[in-house]
Amino acid sequence: MSRRIRLACWTMTLALALAGTATPAWARIKLITLPVRERVEIQLDNPNTTLVEEERIVPLVKGVNQVDFSWAGTAIDPETIVFRVIAPEQGKNLDAKVLSVSYPPNEQSLVWQVASSDSGGTRVRISYVLGNLSKSFNYRAVAARDEKSLSLWQYIRVQNLANEEFGSTGLWAGFGRRFLKPIGVNETKQLLMEKVEQVPVTKTYTCNPAEFDYLDRAQNKLRVPMHYVVKNAKANRLGTAAMPAGKVRIFQDDGKGTTAFLGEDWGRFTPIDDEMRLYLGVAQDIVVKRTTESNNRTRIAGNLYNQEIVLKYEIENFKDQPVTLDVAESVAYIRRELIGDTGREVQWELGPKTTLGDADKEKTTQDKVLFHVNLPARAKDGKAEKATYLLHVILHNEW
Amino acid sequence: MNTIMRYTAAFAVLLLTAVSAQAKNIDLSTVPSRATVQLTIYNSEDLTLVRETRVVSFKKGVNPLQFSWANTLIDPTSVELRFITNADKLEVADTTFPHDKPQMLYWNVQSAIDGDATVEITYFTSGISWRADYVGVASADETRMKLENFVRVINNSGEDYEDAQVRLVVGTINLVEKIAALAQVPMSEVGRMDADQFKATRRSAARQMMQRVPAAPAPAMAGAVSEMVEEKQVIKEGLSEYFIYTIDGTETIPNGWSKRMRSFEALDVPFKVQYRYRPMEYGDRLVRMYILTNDEKSKLGTTPMPDGIVRIFRDNGRDGLSFLAAQQTKYIPIGDKIEVNLGEDPEVIFELIKLRVSRGNIWMQINGMNVFKQIGGPAEIEVNSNVAGWDEHAVFTQRIRNYTAKQIEVEVRRSYDGHVTYRSTIPGIKLFDFRTVEFTTTVDAGKRVDLLHEVVTSQGRNAKQNNVTLQKADVNP
Repeated sequence: MSRRIRLACWTMTLALALAGTATPAWARIKLITLPVRERVEIQLDNPNTTLVEEERIVPLVKGVNQVDFSWAGTAIDPETIVFRVIAPEQGKNLDAKVLSVSYPPNEQSLVWQVASSDSGGTRVRISYVLGNLSKSFNYRAVAARDEKSLSLWQYIRVQNLANEEFGSTGLWAGFGRRFLKPIGVNETKQLLMEKVEQVPVTKTYTCNPAEFDYLDRAQNKLRVPMHYVVKNAKANRLGTAAMPAGKVRIFQDDGKGTTAFLGEDWGRFTPIDDEMRLYLGVAQDIVVKRTTESNNRTRIAGNLYNQEIVLKYEIENFKDQPVTLDVAESVAYIRRELIGDTGREVQWELGPKTTLGDADKEKTTQDKVLFHVNLPARAKDGKAEKATYLLHVILHNEW
Repeated sequence: MNTIMRYTAAFAVLLLTAVSAQAKNIDLSTVPSRATVQLTIYNSEDLTLVRETRVVSFKKGVNPLQFSWANTLIDPTSVELRFITNADKLEVADTTFPHDKPQMLYWNVQSAIDGDATVEITYFTSGISWRADYVGVASADETRMKLENFVRVINNSGEDYEDAQVRLVVGTINLVEKIAALAQVPMSEVGRMDADQFKATRRSAARQMMQRVPAAPAPAMAGAVSEMVEEKQVIKEGLSEYFIYTIDGTETIPNGWSKRMRSFEALDVPFKVQYRYRPMEYGDRLVRMYILTNDEKSKLGTTPMPDGIVRIFRDNGRDGLSFLAAQQTKYIPIGDKIEVNLGEDPEVIFELIKLRVSRGNIWMQINGMNVFKQIGGPAEIEVNSNVAGWDEHAVFTQRIRNYTAKQIEVEVRRSYDGHVTYRSTIPGIKLFDFRTVEFTTTVDAGKRVDLLHEVVTSQGRNAKQNNVTLQKADVNP
């Protein structure tokens, strides 16, 4: 039995109804029936709005019936209430339709006038948008020991502050998932939407001073954050739907049958084929020193010149495994750092002195150039090889 | 009918021999009840024309009639009395607005007969309004829609209207003064206002309009023998610049209540789904639209659609509905489109990626002189010169990814400032206006398209226009 949302049904005398007197029979003494909810479905698939659909069997008599719906203390949007007659009870041949809806003053209620061709129970469905019944998502990720894959649990959390109790309720979380659960007043329910095992994951080490800054400016050491990158793609056993934003708790299999907590991050809304990047902290074992090797200006004419900049990266990997470091730069940031901001876009190209290899074509744009650099594991004696790479950018037509 | 006593707009026949009714403290009066009442409600203004008839017994000679409207929102300047029967034997000799009773007036009716006559009293009141709203339920495959239009009459006038014929005026009328303001001031104050001719014009215009509308059909009394009480029809008639909706039969709407009735229902209305990027209208995002046409082909088009909130649901294919959007629409004339913005679709990704920028056609100005030389040209350029004009080339790709199960249509509009040449081979590209480029493309289910284009902006002295020119040209990624 619902606490607040109530459906009541009573009938006007047939004669009065048919005499054309459409006056609602607001008699002081009346007998009303209170049909209970037969079925409730809560649609959580709209990102901002929660739609509740409930079905009740309303006993109708031949003629005009008054069906009263009230929702004191809840945040139903009365404008969204839709009343639909679904089907009469079995064996009945009954036609019912809504004639009008009346809204009494200063009350959270309405009265439907329902005409029925015969007497009998009729299944009706009432849909409405309900406030304060919200949802959020969160994830649990457990990375394998080798950090090549992880298990991903996706949870939906439904918070019922709507001041209404729902018994056994179908919760539609979107993506075609349905849960049948009761949800009480002020209750929060967390439900597992999906568990996906063996999701390939890439652990990335990235340096990008425009985005992540220096770790130690005086020593020219860049901050090297680590991320788990999960691509929301079919090949990765994901990719059936966009992944909603939510907090991700990240664990790693510690090889002893338990897991170690690595940290947590906010996973952003991730469309299909996009990457969810989860920040794991700053890598201490990969040291990247970035210095400006050269910075030359060549006059074209008057105040117009080209600028050639060579950046040097000295990289050491103190880890026992080889890793791939993503070296990313914003050329606008380099210009701002070395020349100052002109307010114009940077016209740039890579110069021949670049030793970082080829830029990642798919991910390099006007605003960002990206290289993947493979770093060998440190030697058996513990010494890390210091590798030196150059980035040569030519800025054209500056003034 | 105990409700008569609740009436605050009272009409009394004073049983007096003298005309000096106001002077007496002891009155006797009879209260003829309303025979019929008709409400004509304008939704563009807080204005309702009430036309009521009552049967009054007259005696030969002068008959004082009192009309009062305490605690209602009636415009005192608008009250008029007309005789429906025995009109040639009855005449309003004078009308008096007593100074001490602001919400009351007296008529002295000169009668040549002893007997009954039907009188019609018309006045304007505020506080009664109506509005339309729409509920659309799209089919699971999003090709057809069941569209229902409702009208909701809201009575906050202070008066109960029982068994009233209700007529709704769709369209905007010109009102010089808001009637609610008028109703709050006594007659003497109203009289001093110099906008009288405007009010008279307004009243007569509204009345004239009403008189040209044929009376609605009588309520179907045959219901008593039929199997099923039928839903009331809302009859729609065009009139001048307006549409009048007449609700079949009569309605009772007590003060404070509102009542919502279905005005029309259209099944299987075809509609189109289109994705649109129009930052001026919908913000900087790609939105999904449902587009319907108010015409006969779309099973609509019998009436303009009054402004109101459209709520769109979709059959979610699992015996239930999904709520998609609620949106205020403007008045939709017959033949015009109804466009509902459903917001972003997480299954369609819309990205504008700037691939590279370069500059060319650079002109230098020799310092202090009106001499310009082009970079790369034959003339040597002095050191003592500055950049005075250039073209900036920005190459973009408009990437659209469609993860839905259907082909989608995407319309894109982008505006550019300055002297711009827009180079691309995007099919069907055109200028929406002098500074806005528009194109419509389709993206197959599960596919991605990259629409390459180059925006060349002439800067400095190179800028000679302030508009966009389209140019067909291959653009490399």
